[in-house]
Amino acid sequence: MNAQLWAVVAVGTVVLAVACLELVRSRHARALAVGAPAAPASEPYIIYFTGENCAMCRTHQEPALAKLGSLRIDKVDAVAERELADRFHVYTLPTTVVMSPDGRALHVNYGYAPAPKLERQLAEAREVSALRVTATA
Amino acid sequence: MSSPQGVVDHSALKVNQTGIVATVLVAFLGSALYRPLLLLIPLLAIVLLVGTFAPQLALFKQFYFKVLKPSGIVKPRPVKDRPEPHNFAQGLGGVFLAVSSVLLLPVPVLGLALALLVAVLAFVNLAFGYCLGCQIYYQLGRRGLIKAS
Repeated sequence: MNAQLWAVVAVGTVVLAVACLELVRSRHARALAVGAPAAPASEPYIIYFTGENCAMCRTHQEPALAKLGSLRIDKVDAVAERELADRFHVYTLPTTVVMSPDGRALHVNYGYAPAPKLERQLAEAREVSALRVTATA
Repeated sequence: MSSPQGVVDHSALKVNQTGIVATVLVAFLGSALYRPLLLLIPLLAIVLLVGTFAPQLALFKQFYFKVLKPSGIVKPRPVKDRPEPHNFAQGLGGVFLAVSSVLLLPVPVLGLALALLVAVLAFVNLAFGYCLGCQIYYQLGRRGLIKAS
């Protein structure tokens, strides 16, 4: 049983270390990607990075995006559109970027982002753009 | 598992992952009481590696297609998808289990730890849909090391 216990400790340590690294990596990538520019629009919109081989995109992310209703979603193949993917530091699929109407990245979600989270981020993006319109008026 | 249109039955993948988790857990916990159960680990490595290169011989998936699906115990869940990343992930699991099998005699802790890691990753895929092997496949494709799309 001793070997089993040490194996559990070893795997636990590896899993914890990987989780910490992943957290640091996503925070770093997010810090670099927020504010990155793309095309402006009249309303906040989402850039959705996906790939032909991304199963989670089809099973989880796409149904979540469909729940958002009539919203502009720019679907991007992260492998084919490498330059755009690099601009938002896409290192995992799916990745969703909530864009403000003036074409700046406000929120970047690496991995699956559920519909309520995206709705919250879009509401924030609408508030930000409304404030900007009021300030300039 | 797949048709020419690129549809993958995700129930087959889930059954496969369940089989991996269950087998490793039986070997891992059972070997504390009955050491020969460790033989399940090299056997599982063979099953995964053979299933990667010859899907018609993939034990757990065939169990799903021949028994679980026809009897209605597990309902099919076809998803527009490609089988390659999943096969790659399965092959990677098989390689890790093969290395684990080699290490079981000289360094049992390391051998058991590697086998347990495979089970943990299969569980994460089963429970949360996160497939590490598929992410590695995407990264390799992005770097042009394999033809990913």
